[in-house]
Amino acid sequence: MISKNCVAMILAGGQGSRLGALTKNVAKPAVPFGGKYRIIDFPLSNCVHSGIDTVGVLTQYQPLELNRYIGNGSPWDLDRSHGGAYVLPPYQSAKAGEWYKGTANAIYQNLGFLEGFNPENVLILSGDHIYKMHYGEMLKAHNESDAAVTIAVMPVPWEEASRFGIMNVDENGTITEFEEKPAEPKSNLASMGIYIFKYDVLKKYLEADERDPKSSNDFGKNIIPTMLENGEKMVSFRFEGYWKDVGTIQSLWEANMDLVDEPPKFDLADRKWRIYSRNMALAPHYVGTNAKITNSTVTEGCFIDGEINHSVIFGGVELGEGSVVNNSVIMPGAKIGKNVVVEKAVIGVNAVIGDGAKVGVNSSDDNKYASKLCSHDLVLIEGGAEVKVGEEIFKGSMVEA
Amino acid sequence: MRRDDTMGIILANNDRIPPITDIRANLALPIAGRYRIIDFVISCMAGAGITNIGVATESNYSSLMDHIKSGKPWDLDRKNWGLNILPPNVEKMTSGTIKGDIDMLSGISDFLQRSPQTYVILSLGNSIYNVDFAELIEKHIESQADITVLYKDMKGNDERELSRFTMLELADDNRVVDIEVKPYYPKTTMASMDIYVMEKALLESIIDECSARGDRDFVKDALVKKMSGLMIYGYEYTGYTDKIDTLASYYRNNMNFLNKEIREDLFTRKCQIYTKTKDQSPTKYGDSAVVKNSFVSDGCTIEGTVINCILSRGVKVAKGAVIENSIIMQDSVIEEDVELSHVVFDKEVHITKGRKLIGQDSYPLAISKGKKI
Repeated sequence: MISKNCVAMILAGGQGSRLGALTKNVAKPAVPFGGKYRIIDFPLSNCVHSGIDTVGVLTQYQPLELNRYIGNGSPWDLDRSHGGAYVLPPYQSAKAGEWYKGTANAIYQNLGFLEGFNPENVLILSGDHIYKMHYGEMLKAHNESDAAVTIAVMPVPWEEASRFGIMNVDENGTITEFEEKPAEPKSNLASMGIYIFKYDVLKKYLEADERDPKSSNDFGKNIIPTMLENGEKMVSFRFEGYWKDVGTIQSLWEANMDLVDEPPKFDLADRKWRIYSRNMALAPHYVGTNAKITNSTVTEGCFIDGEINHSVIFGGVELGEGSVVNNSVIMPGAKIGKNVVVEKAVIGVNAVIGDGAKVGVNSSDDNKYASKLCSHDLVLIEGGAEVKVGEEIFKGSMVEA
Repeated sequence: MRRDDTMGIILANNDRIPPITDIRANLALPIAGRYRIIDFVISCMAGAGITNIGVATESNYSSLMDHIKSGKPWDLDRKNWGLNILPPNVEKMTSGTIKGDIDMLSGISDFLQRSPQTYVILSLGNSIYNVDFAELIEKHIESQADITVLYKDMKGNDERELSRFTMLELADDNRVVDIEVKPYYPKTTMASMDIYVMEKALLESIIDECSARGDRDFVKDALVKKMSGLMIYGYEYTGYTDKIDTLASYYRNNMNFLNKEIREDLFTRKCQIYTKTKDQSPTKYGDSAVVKNSFVSDGCTIEGTVINCILSRGVKVAKGAVIENSIIMQDSVIEEDVELSHVVFDKEVHITKGRKLIGQDSYPLAISKGKKI
């Protein structure tokens, strides 16, 4: 029988409703990020670089595109004969069949999958965070401390601590208390939603949790507090580095801007820790005679004849002569015509912006596209949507297809 | 759709372009930034549904092997057949060393023999094109020719340019009536693209006959001598193509990718052109970057000025550097205030601060791999 030291499970079923039109047809982990990636490339690439070769991806909401994207796992070197990448949707069995009720229930429903690999440890990850992390180091610390569970934490600014799940720890890093979004935080160590459990402990608690009809079957709300109550050894693993939850349009836009700041807050060019992705197989990008590109990233298949500043341009994007794009994220295949101005916007996959259009330049009190999800004057154009020739889209708009 | 009745044979031939072929076969030369010359022929074969392809190599084949590996980018990592690198078989050669394409073909006779396909597309050259091979096979079968040779009418080209090709003289029905290999005074403008379609059994008998007689050249010894006995027909290709066999043609054909029509012809005509992926991050433009009319691959960092250039993956151009009309291969580093014009840099060339290197349009300055200046 195959026996794996550590199997990773990525929770990728969430809708990501705060991403508005970006997740209308795709799950949050499949949202494009950083010029040529999708959010799920980050945990998948981290797994491979950390020596973890067996990864279950739990999908539920709008799974088609995510399933196709992951495929047999070959872009991440996860097409393995003994292990590899597995897409795990909810399924029916003889006795029962139901949707994933919560994060803990999603893992519970796949205990049969884990059983097949006879793992010593299970790494639980979330499919909506941007970061580079060596899980192998965390696993080593987990084995050395002989903890029931090791939880990755990172220091956050004190004034923001009340937005996170906060871990209070003693001088050895042992977790003494867990508070979900505390009004008055006692520590600034936030849980990153990354757990390594001993498999037998995880199984025991998941089974007990499932028997409790009052439980909401969630790791943060149920499993972790119950383990603390029962006095299980729970240890924190401190992570210092870039980590970003891209759950809102604003934070997704910010995380993209972090890549083109000078110096970048997050560097994707590190060759020792490449982020792998399913390649679009396009030709190099062509920069025309009228183009001017500064403080930006551009990738394969683009045709750029306009001006780009402080922006992230994905594959296959076209930008016509006389157009200007500032502080924006232009997703794959978007076509922007001539003499267009785009300011602080997220333009979705294959969106079309007609000649002479103005996007995010001016404000208006009478804005039919105004959306609460587009805070801080951001504009979101949904994938496949069309902005007509000469049309003006005001700040704070969400234009749906 | 799969084309199970046809196999592909690609010969990595011996056209040398010093210094950039010192370390690799011609077909492994980087082109258009992220591609290799061989990507075009493999992608066209794969696009036609051919799933059994052999690449016969001669020497310097490690870079080809590294590029092709399991054939995955072309979806040719298959249980049955797939993409195979065929190293030279010294025992099968007429004199123990390779002295022509017949030697290379006879070295792969086992591979030919155990392949079950009826037809074979044989590629002897190193041209770039985007050919519909499925249509070529159909036409070959329909015409009942023994051999169909793909050609391009190079009308309008200089006579000296035509002398680089094998020239065909065609009858009104496109039957080949004369073949001249690299003639100094070409009689026609019909240039062979070094692509031949025939039944596998015919190829095997030609190889057997030629090697038994000590003949070494597929075109001169087999085709020319058998022209009257065999029905050899030409089939015209109308898209863009050129052969890459000299530094001048290498330079020109890279620069041609700055031309929108040629670029679209080569990339979007029929087949998608695939290549090995390197998972480089997107290219980063700094605040002093000035880039005009250039073809830029992923993984570059550009702070300086780049005009009319082809940049491969991972090239670094520092502030104040000015590069014009040049081809810069993978991972080369151009430091501050360097001036470059009409240069061809192999991989990992490093030009230190303030240096100036100027080539000419007709004679680009080529620097070999890993040189630091």
